[in-house]
Amino acid sequence: MKSKISARTFLLTLSIAVAALFTACDKKPEGGASGGKKKLAYVTNGVDPFWNTAAAGVRAAEKKFGVECEVLMPPKGVVDQKRMVEGLLARGVDGIAISSIDPKNQIDLINEAASRCPLITHDSDAPESKRLCFVGMDNYKAGRAAGKLVKSALPQGGKVMIFVGRLEQLNSQQRRQGVIDELLDRPALTTGVTMKTDPNGFPLIGEKFTVLDTRTDNFDYARAKANAQDAMASVPDLACMVGLYAYNAPQCMEAAKEAGKIGTMKIVSFDEQEAVLQGIADGTVVGTISQQPYYYGFESVRILAGLANGDKSVLPKDGFLEVPIVEVTKANVEKFRVDLKKMQEAGK
Amino acid sequence: MKKLLGIFGLFVFIFVFTALRSPNFLSAYNLQNLVGWTSLFGIISIGAAFVIITGGIDLSIGSTVGLVGSLLSWLLMHKGWSEPAALLAVLAVSLLIGLSHGLLITKMRLQPFVVTLCGLLLYRGLARFVTDDESQGFGSAHDGLRRIAIGKLDVVGGFAVPVSVFIMVGIAVAAAIFLNRTIWGRYLLALGRNETAARYSGINTDRMKITAYVICSLLGGVGGILFSLNLNSIQPSGLGEFYELYAIAAAVLGGCSLRGGEGTILGVIIGTAVMRVLYNAINILGIPTHLEFAIIGTVILAGVIADELVKRIATKRRAVRALSGEP
Repeated sequence: MKSKISARTFLLTLSIAVAALFTACDKKPEGGASGGKKKLAYVTNGVDPFWNTAAAGVRAAEKKFGVECEVLMPPKGVVDQKRMVEGLLARGVDGIAISSIDPKNQIDLINEAASRCPLITHDSDAPESKRLCFVGMDNYKAGRAAGKLVKSALPQGGKVMIFVGRLEQLNSQQRRQGVIDELLDRPALTTGVTMKTDPNGFPLIGEKFTVLDTRTDNFDYARAKANAQDAMASVPDLACMVGLYAYNAPQCMEAAKEAGKIGTMKIVSFDEQEAVLQGIADGTVVGTISQQPYYYGFESVRILAGLANGDKSVLPKDGFLEVPIVEVTKANVEKFRVDLKKMQEAGK
Repeated sequence: MKKLLGIFGLFVFIFVFTALRSPNFLSAYNLQNLVGWTSLFGIISIGAAFVIITGGIDLSIGSTVGLVGSLLSWLLMHKGWSEPAALLAVLAVSLLIGLSHGLLITKMRLQPFVVTLCGLLLYRGLARFVTDDESQGFGSAHDGLRRIAIGKLDVVGGFAVPVSVFIMVGIAVAAAIFLNRTIWGRYLLALGRNETAARYSGINTDRMKITAYVICSLLGGVGGILFSLNLNSIQPSGLGEFYELYAIAAAVLGGCSLRGGEGTILGVIIGTAVMRVLYNAINILGIPTHLEFAIIGTVILAGVIADELVKRIATKRRAVRALSGEP
């Protein structure tokens, strides 16, 4: 029943396949802009509502600058991100904006992409790569701003716990350090990849504040909630919970609500999830630090569109375009909400 | 019951160890959380146990949880469905998932691993597609419905038991009766042990297998409903990820053999409780979270090794006793 392939047929097929492979590799992929609009790509570091707001900025900029920009959200971290960038390079694009998940170890991939088309980073930088510029915010500064919110809510001090998805990422390390340094009244650091961070797992004791450990959940919401519950169970006099990722504070709120501590437990948040904004309006959340992701998307596309058309003047000085953070508290939450809704509508 | 002694011993050990190290562990608040999470994970683990007892595997449990959870809030919040309609719809979806698994595995003779692995990808993809990959949630609406996941019933002694515990106990009792007191339970165990023999003795093995997959996915769906109601913030790409591993691990820890034919519902619940107590203990004792996987892996492995050694010694003794003719 089995039909055998002769050695000659096998070798012939193999050599044809290899030859085909070489010719295919030799051919440079053609630029996406075969007439019509320039094609750009906006690559995020994961799937998150945060990125939907950024995508709204991308959509708005697409219309304004007459380009097409694909938004790619890698669901599984570094591996997916690499696959997506390779796919883009194979198809050919006129510009890529990427949020680097692992800035130190993704340099090869980023440089490879940067050698083929204009490439900028957004949200999370890869300073040692050949990216043309970085659009983002200073996460350390944002952390300090969150620390200030904690101080405003607890002038007499108290015990604070930090919750985050992953601590490997540079932005979470910088935010965490910012919160810690502000609460322990340390002088401001200059940030960078080599920034020294306090080890996790030991309480850091300051004059008024004690920062207990930082709990991670690997983006599992159930774990995030359980972490908040366990924190309240193990530290009965816990005064404040700081959620470094968008979903952390909403889970802290759920846990506090069930424990009957909503309102008394001070919760400080990052980003702009609806539950948090509602909490700020209701007075159950102290405030949140918004990075304005809409502008990440908008500014990235603006710069890439300029570069794709040969205009280098769009590049910011020093290669860093700082998108200012916004502190949202009860005083400005309603206006912030209205603006956010407007932006999201504009992106549709 | 004897088989459960090992895992129960491990549970008691972790429990007592943590309680001695931290007084807060035994606080009513912490115990409520602990039993609450154990019930949610317990429900999906019971489902996993049914499939494992037939000698099969279901890798799509986590994705089923994700799809059902996402669909529920999407139907309620975006499509304006009524609560009963949405609940019925998502349960029907999970039932269909189980039915198609069962049919593909029995009638098409496909491997359970392949079918449910494809399911894992398919349902996750569907959840993300239907919801446009946007986070779902109930906001402050549907508080009444959410009570089945986060509500608590006061019992005597000031200890409020989460409603989800009653749901889990109800399911567990029904499952245990089904498995141990009905003829279908016998059939399930028999076909898990030796499918050919079971078929030759007149058991409709295909129908029993399909039933097992339907139960598994249906309980995955119930889990999806409860998880989404509990969390109130559902990410279609993330809800339930890897939960099939928690479920399978809990079932196997609780005495289910991956070769099929063995397993008890009580064991599965204890297996689930061991996992949850470990996670909780790590937080309560303030052990850094990046150590948690290492600790959970080590403790469980040590427990299983100890259990195996004790069993071996017992068998040897029995053999010696039998040889020497003692009663």
